[in-house]
Amino acid sequence: MQFTVETTPAYAEVNGSGRLNMVAAPLLREVVAAVVAKGSHHVVVNMEGTDFMDSSGLGALIGCLKIARQAGGDLRIANVQPQVKMVLELTSMHRVLTPYESVDAAFSND
Amino acid sequence: MRPFPMTEVLARSSRQGLATAATVDALHEDFEALWLEAGFVPEMDRMAFSTAVIEAATNVVQHAVPASETPLQLGVDITIRSRRLEARISEIGAAPSSPGISNPSEIDDDAESGRGLNLIHALVSTVTFERHGEDNVWVLCRHSSDV
Repeated sequence: MQFTVETTPAYAEVNGSGRLNMVAAPLLREVVAAVVAKGSHHVVVNMEGTDFMDSSGLGALIGCLKIARQAGGDLRIANVQPQVKMVLELTSMHRVLTPYESVDAAFSND
Repeated sequence: MRPFPMTEVLARSSRQGLATAATVDALHEDFEALWLEAGFVPEMDRMAFSTAVIEAATNVVQHAVPASETPLQLGVDITIRSRRLEARISEIGAAPSSPGISNPSEIDDDAESGRGLNLIHALVSTVTFERHGEDNVWVLCRHSSDV
């Protein structure tokens, strides 16, 4: 899985393209931890290119959410694809990681 | 034309390799080829079934313990019938074990692991875990909805 980061004044956007699985999960944690350590406490994970996520990937997202919240910020997800949406709903984690329709929408009401 | 009997295998796929992430990755390609052959399977069934199989295979890579010094092998055999998708996921050369599932209400929202087995159960109709000789075998079955 490939990650890219783009920082705006309001948030950092982390783009993940490929499969968010046991291999990619620790990498996502590292990327988000580095982003938060640099001072971007509001993070949007753009999942437009994430076509598959397993429970390790979901665990990594939850870990990243905790990292952002511990720094006083938050982490949100956007552009979720059908397989990822299914995993979020079947594990009831869509309550905690609510998918936003776009990266812009993720922090637009804050 | 005679309709397909419900028990006839219409597509199948088989893979065995070291229990590693690379073998699990190859399963994604196996499924792509399988769905080309079995185009009649509805999208929701494909997505749920393949996610369950890959989740179980990942569980083998992460948690199965070899019974000896011989490296653990992962075997995945998939058969597609008109209304029944079945996978046998084998932990070849694994020590006996019995993965338990947690009550979903007991998993904290901020827990970072422990959801895999519950997810598998939510994705397929039946899950069995059996000991066959030197192997542990998961059998996942999803009854396809509207073929």
